[in-house]
Amino acid sequence: MATLELSHLFVRYRQDAAINAVHDANFSLSPGESLGIVGESGSGKSTLAMTVMGLLEAKTTVTGSIRLDGTELTTMTERQRDGYRWRRIAIAFQNSLDVLNPVMTVGAQIAEAITRHMALDRESADERARQLFNMVGLEAKWLQAYPHELSGGMRQKALIAMSLSCKPEILIADEPTMALDSESKAEIIDLLKRLQSERGFSMIAISHELQVVSALTSRILVMYTGNVVEVGPTRAVLEDPLHPYTRGLTYASPSIHPFRDMWGIPGEIVITEETQCPFYSRCTQRIPACLHQHPALETIRPDRQVACLRGGIVTLLTGVALNKTYRTAGGAIRACDQCDIAIRAGEVVALIGQSGSGKTTLAQMLCGITRPDTGTAVFDGRTILGNSETRRTGGVQMVFQDPLSATNEALSIEQIVREPLDILRSDTMAQRTAKVRSALQQVQLPHDDLFLRRKGHTLSGGQRQRVAIARALVMEPRLMIADEISSMLDPSTAANILRLLKGLQNLLGFSMLYITHDIALARKIADTAYVMHKGRLVEHGPASRVLTSPNSEEAKRLLRKLGLDSSYGR
Amino acid sequence: MTRRSRDSRAQGGRYLLVLVVMLAINFFLPRLMPGDPFLYLSVEDGTVSVVFSQQQIDHYKAYYGLDKPLHVQFGGYLLGLLRGDLGYSIYYNTSVTEMIFTRLPWTLFIVISSLVVSSVVGTALGAISAWHRDGMLDRILYAVMIVLSEIPSFLLGVLFLFIFAAQLKWFPLSGGRTVFATYGSVGTALGDILHHATLPVATLAVSRVGGFYLLSRNSMLTVITKDYIRTARAKGIGRRAVIIRHALKNALPPVVARIFMSLGGLFGGAVLVENVFAYPGVGRLMREAVGNRDYVLLQGIFLTITVMVLLMNWLADIVYRKLDPRVAR
Repeated sequence: MATLELSHLFVRYRQDAAINAVHDANFSLSPGESLGIVGESGSGKSTLAMTVMGLLEAKTTVTGSIRLDGTELTTMTERQRDGYRWRRIAIAFQNSLDVLNPVMTVGAQIAEAITRHMALDRESADERARQLFNMVGLEAKWLQAYPHELSGGMRQKALIAMSLSCKPEILIADEPTMALDSESKAEIIDLLKRLQSERGFSMIAISHELQVVSALTSRILVMYTGNVVEVGPTRAVLEDPLHPYTRGLTYASPSIHPFRDMWGIPGEIVITEETQCPFYSRCTQRIPACLHQHPALETIRPDRQVACLRGGIVTLLTGVALNKTYRTAGGAIRACDQCDIAIRAGEVVALIGQSGSGKTTLAQMLCGITRPDTGTAVFDGRTILGNSETRRTGGVQMVFQDPLSATNEALSIEQIVREPLDILRSDTMAQRTAKVRSALQQVQLPHDDLFLRRKGHTLSGGQRQRVAIARALVMEPRLMIADEISSMLDPSTAANILRLLKGLQNLLGFSMLYITHDIALARKIADTAYVMHKGRLVEHGPASRVLTSPNSEEAKRLLRKLGLDSSYGR
Repeated sequence: MTRRSRDSRAQGGRYLLVLVVMLAINFFLPRLMPGDPFLYLSVEDGTVSVVFSQQQIDHYKAYYGLDKPLHVQFGGYLLGLLRGDLGYSIYYNTSVTEMIFTRLPWTLFIVISSLVVSSVVGTALGAISAWHRDGMLDRILYAVMIVLSEIPSFLLGVLFLFIFAAQLKWFPLSGGRTVFATYGSVGTALGDILHHATLPVATLAVSRVGGFYLLSRNSMLTVITKDYIRTARAKGIGRRAVIIRHALKNALPPVVARIFMSLGGLFGGAVLVENVFAYPGVGRLMREAVGNRDYVLLQGIFLTITVMVLLMNWLADIVYRKLDPRVAR
């Protein structure tokens, strides 16, 4: 069994192409290992497979090395390559009608590789083809069929049988479940797993479907526009992605986040220079340096590699051992007891708990409104003191349950939204008004003069909440704390506000701490969840797990109780 | 199976319909032409002297049945056809069937020879060209073939005649064989016939090769970008097997269909070329028939060519089905 090693592999389709189809790929595949390659369409997954097989067009430039047990493949002639193809490395091509020769029977197409590589005569090759069909669960009569007579699922099995016909040491499965219904999909996945354990070949499974790769492989490689941006154990990478792109992929995958609404990665691929981070235009945590340096793949945790100048998804805010006790006539109330919380860039964290569990106190300590008795909250490397983070742009903003109740009734909408900018005194008045208008536009409110002059208290509940969000948006926050913002709204308005907020979050890339007692809502938007009970954070983790099957008893009880609440309406 | 037989029955019906339409056109068209065969019978080159009297003309018209109403003539024509009787030539006064069958082998010989040469050469060059796409070889071949396919065959014939027969004297100027020659053996007879046929065949072949080349190159270019070619390459079965077993096998059906279909055009080309080389084929006979307003002979020739073309189209259908399993079932 063989080891495949790729190092510093570059593939360029044409000399004048703007970017490399594969940019500096380095990885190895050990005997018996299964490696997944994921990425959106056009990320270079298939190009990588074609490069390994040596099937790229003549015009393509390949530099770097691909070694099979130390033998360099890239410099071989076609004739030498033919000795490796199928016999040592085989590929199960992406399923399409065109992938098999329409004028030859399926059996003949399988047998021709066998007679060529395995020194068998035509009869023994046919016999072997029958065995292969039997192995993948196809009747032998289909060997006499032409490709157009097979169904999509049968063709996929035939492709797998064909790829394994010469007992390859390495199998590349390119989108093995493409365009199949879910039942056939499961069947193919089971088949590939069974064959791999029976025959011990190593496998590279390429797919844009994360659940396929996660079912088939133990290690995963994430590609973006030809760059390998993250490598690690499949389960760990998908549960706790380090690269914002990987996280975006998991967010767009309903199989990994079954309850959460799907949100694609916003933005277009814009790459102006080879030297920039390729993900810059779509990244939620970019800094100016990302535009001038191409990040290399670096090991930042044991077994985890990520190509990000910031060392992967950064933690924006951390609260460490936060305590707060309120003393009243009736005695001391421990509102927050040793609370540890972390919020990463671009993520939506749900903080779940009953009324009076201390959620709001925790949130207030995190934005500086309330001072903790002990413990510290740090935002972007700075300790939060008073309004140190709320008064700056790119800081923390908070939206409350009834946001305008605290504002002066005499203020117009323009004044309400503009107020933080007025305090900041950074722009001219015209610039500020322009920002106000664009923020109002973002929250889908009118932004004409008439509306700007209206008084805040003349608005409906939903409109007020939008104004409050606009007020937060003018400060371009990197963290938005939303405290029960929908609890006073009717379900339809609440749904609209929530979708608006989540949409803005996805588009603008800020992080959000969403405080609620409504589990059903939290499931729809949260990536991570914290459960709070009587001042203590009793459980936290990926929202898909914590909000469906938590580990701690308190969380389970709370979930039952709150779940009941939400099923009867708010 | 039932679908298949229904398909082929429908197809047979279509061919029958085409045949009937062709017969009708064939019958009526010459009768719509200006001129009269008996007028021409009486005209010698350069002189205008009426040999037949009106009485004689009426006699001949009655003799050939030309005085009867058209539909009666047509009915008689169809009945005759069923017996394999194409009538008697008005000008030569001999059996049309016989005349055509003495001339037909000559035409078939040059048509089929040139078809074989042009299709094999054109297809092979097209395939080579496609495999070396945008290379020097491809560019040169492409340019040459485009030029060749645009030259009319009679012009090419005259050119060949001038260079190879008149100037170089490699080949005879005209005819299908040496006149008044007595051959010692079959070999020398065959040699003489081939010698005479070379220029006509070359003319027809060269004028046709461009079409086959372009079609084959095009078809091959489409095929080699297909995924199954990549699959074949991936299997490491070697370049020859990829080109022949996978690429050519898929590129051929349209080319083969074209080979059969092009027979009609080749007969047309043969008419012109035979006249350039004074070759004793059906084409030359046709020109004579036109010149003499020999309806009966013309009809016979047209009919023969029509049947040939239909037959070839039908063969093309069958061969296409054999080559492409997607059409077969």
